[in-house]
Amino acid sequence: MVTRSCLSLLLLLAAGCASTPERASSSGLAAPGFKPRALRAGETGVALQCSKIFAMDEHDHIFAPGTVLVRNGKIEYVGPRRAAPAGYEVHAFEQGWALPGMVDLHSHVQGTFDINDMVLPINAELRASPAYVPGNTSLDRARAAGVTTLLGIPGSGTSISGFGVLHKTKDTPLYDTAVIADPGAMKVAQSYNPERSADFGSTRAGLGWLLREANERAIAANEAGVVDPRLENLQKVHARELPVLIHCAGSDGVGKAVNMWKGEYDTRCVVSHGCFDAFKIAPYVVRMQVPMNHGPRTIDFRVSREGRFVGTAGEYLEAGARDFSLNTDAPVVPQEELFLQGTVSARYGADSYSMLRGLTIHPARSIGLGDRLGSLEPGKDADIGVFNGDPIDPRTRCELVLIDGVVEYSRTRDGQLF
Amino acid sequence: MITPFLLATLWVADGPPAGAPGGPPLALDCAKALVCAHRGAQVVDRARVVVRDGRIEAVGARQELAAPAGAVVEDLGALWLVPGFIDLHSHIGGDFGINDMVYQANPELRVSTAVVPENANLRRALAAGVTTILFIPGSGTNCGGQGILLKTAGATFDEMLVREPGSLKIAQADNPARWGYGMGRGMMNWTIREFCSRGRAYARAWAEFESGTGPQPERDLMFDVFRDLYAGRTQVSTHTQVYQVVYNTLRILRQELGLPTYIDHGEFDAFLLGELARELDVAGILGPRSISSQVKSRGVDHDGKIIGLAAGWQEHGLVEIGFNTDAPVVPAEELPLQAAMGVHYGFDDARLQALRGLTIVPARTAGIDDRVGSIEAGKDADLLAVRGDPVDPRTGIERAWVGGRVVHVSTQGGRTW
Repeated sequence: MVTRSCLSLLLLLAAGCASTPERASSSGLAAPGFKPRALRAGETGVALQCSKIFAMDEHDHIFAPGTVLVRNGKIEYVGPRRAAPAGYEVHAFEQGWALPGMVDLHSHVQGTFDINDMVLPINAELRASPAYVPGNTSLDRARAAGVTTLLGIPGSGTSISGFGVLHKTKDTPLYDTAVIADPGAMKVAQSYNPERSADFGSTRAGLGWLLREANERAIAANEAGVVDPRLENLQKVHARELPVLIHCAGSDGVGKAVNMWKGEYDTRCVVSHGCFDAFKIAPYVVRMQVPMNHGPRTIDFRVSREGRFVGTAGEYLEAGARDFSLNTDAPVVPQEELFLQGTVSARYGADSYSMLRGLTIHPARSIGLGDRLGSLEPGKDADIGVFNGDPIDPRTRCELVLIDGVVEYSRTRDGQLF
Repeated sequence: MITPFLLATLWVADGPPAGAPGGPPLALDCAKALVCAHRGAQVVDRARVVVRDGRIEAVGARQELAAPAGAVVEDLGALWLVPGFIDLHSHIGGDFGINDMVYQANPELRVSTAVVPENANLRRALAAGVTTILFIPGSGTNCGGQGILLKTAGATFDEMLVREPGSLKIAQADNPARWGYGMGRGMMNWTIREFCSRGRAYARAWAEFESGTGPQPERDLMFDVFRDLYAGRTQVSTHTQVYQVVYNTLRILRQELGLPTYIDHGEFDAFLLGELARELDVAGILGPRSISSQVKSRGVDHDGKIIGLAAGWQEHGLVEIGFNTDAPVVPAEELPLQAAMGVHYGFDDARLQALRGLTIVPARTAGIDDRVGSIEAGKDADLLAVRGDPVDPRTGIERAWVGGRVVHVSTQGGRTW
């Protein structure tokens, strides 16, 4: 008995040593021929001197210690320590870990909650943007936790509830300065919640027919070269100009969603939630190359009934999920606790570093913003969070947040909001 | 390292396992022991913990502490040892027959009748390092009855039992308002003063009889628990929250009635009373809420900020701060997460206060620090082997011992959470 436990402990220790994700690089990331130069009139520059930088780029660069240089809102250099050019605003941290601003693709805290007009079973003409209130308190807290980009979407009361708005959590009263894209992505709800509607469409058979009928009409309009005002944005989804985020859960719901939106219609789809026992069909989701945006539940106990808690994030990773990301469905999980979705997933068995990717580059790529957000690379938006330790450890605090190169939160300046 | 020689030694071991009662002594070598003693050094590097007959015999640096003759030496490599966690507010010790709302105060009722050893909730708690719980009645009345202190491991009631009565549960406001026609705080506070005053008179009469200065009182089962309370053998665990209610806990239970008590919950803006609680030697066992924000109906607001409860109590002067789950309100296996979130919301953890709030603080609060709560000679060998700081939610429990017996191994039987 004791012997066996000793042996397994030994094996476990050996395995633990092999999976360290940290990699260092001697040269930094910058555009070819980059040379630091002093600011000119009208330009802005910020330099972050950090003890550790997670670039979250394709090669998982980690610079410890390192420097990020930001010029006119864009990143120009990420790499080993170097001095800030003349005129740059310098923020130096003895204990400061820099991470790309976190991205949440499933959020409802963009403003008021007028996001669930259940007029018809299909409401492809609606948008969440009229409910947008820049600088609301939920966004204040999100920003102070290092969450910089949200997809604020309509509810899930109907099969298509409308189009969400992709926006930054900037402290601004102006809608235009915060918005990345409106419409940002379509919201589909394919199981559970939309089944609440009465009459037709109260079961999945009816819901499936409603979606198919709307999709076929949009495709027919595209083929005829006409624009149907009520289906204009849905037509863009089928022209692959806009992505679609699909609320679905359970192995049956997720399976059907992937089958329809990827297999049948080949849209730029992201499946959101993927809770309960949906992890059991993770290999299918992976094979179909559909990104999984997971949460707010990150464990399953009730449905798969194996007498134990299943950390579902770990199951998706094990199945080889590439652009696996985490969400809060805020306010279901508070927006400022996006990181905690990663923490708890790690507690239930997922790899901690992969969870950091799931909070940054993966969601950015999933929604088609991988060239602008999600990693610290030259040319990208300077959306950066600095923490006094591992950002995924709840005991650390957020020290500084840049959005588009502007200090939008500073613990020493603004105090702790929580 | 575990050498082939050592493996062979373990292989031939027969009878009770090393460290357990009746077995040979066990010397556990580890990279670090976070001992959590009430006073003194908290960390021993390259530590050795010697366990004999289910108890800790010695703890110290490996170079300075020889393994006793005949001991099985086990090297845990890079793992750390920490004391088992203690949750002083738990309802998962068995079935939920814990809320008989007969009278407005029921000090005679005991939850010990509801204990179900090795139930699924206890097994998960154990897998997360929770080795001792205070299993208490619900808060449907001002006094739900007597709780019981239990180990989460053990196949029988007797093996689990740490102390009965574990506490007298008094609920001072909110939930007990459901009893009867809907009690207000005035009525509830009067009820508490009334039955506790009678209890005190009963305890005094017995004390006088025992010291030969009074006649033998008539036995009254309803008030027997007050003899334990006034003799310091148990405490009142008080369901109390919000400034006004906690103020009355301190004033009525502690100052007026002189009962040994602690603040259980301590939520909303109650942390404003930190200094008074410390002066009265009253600890705060916080949870299941970790934070306080605006609650208009209670007049609670912190200028729009979210305040961490542990941070608030600490800032206002309280030192003895522990954490609870109110399981199943927060799952029992998430007790360490309560401490982590305390730190997230500003609780100073520079001197291991978060881990202490899971170990020595609740042990002292419940008066069982002679048995549990730290890795010190003479205490029960309730130990956890962990890969790093156990307050980091990502740190799993690799192995757990209760009373010197291995009761959880993460690689055996699959993860339960």
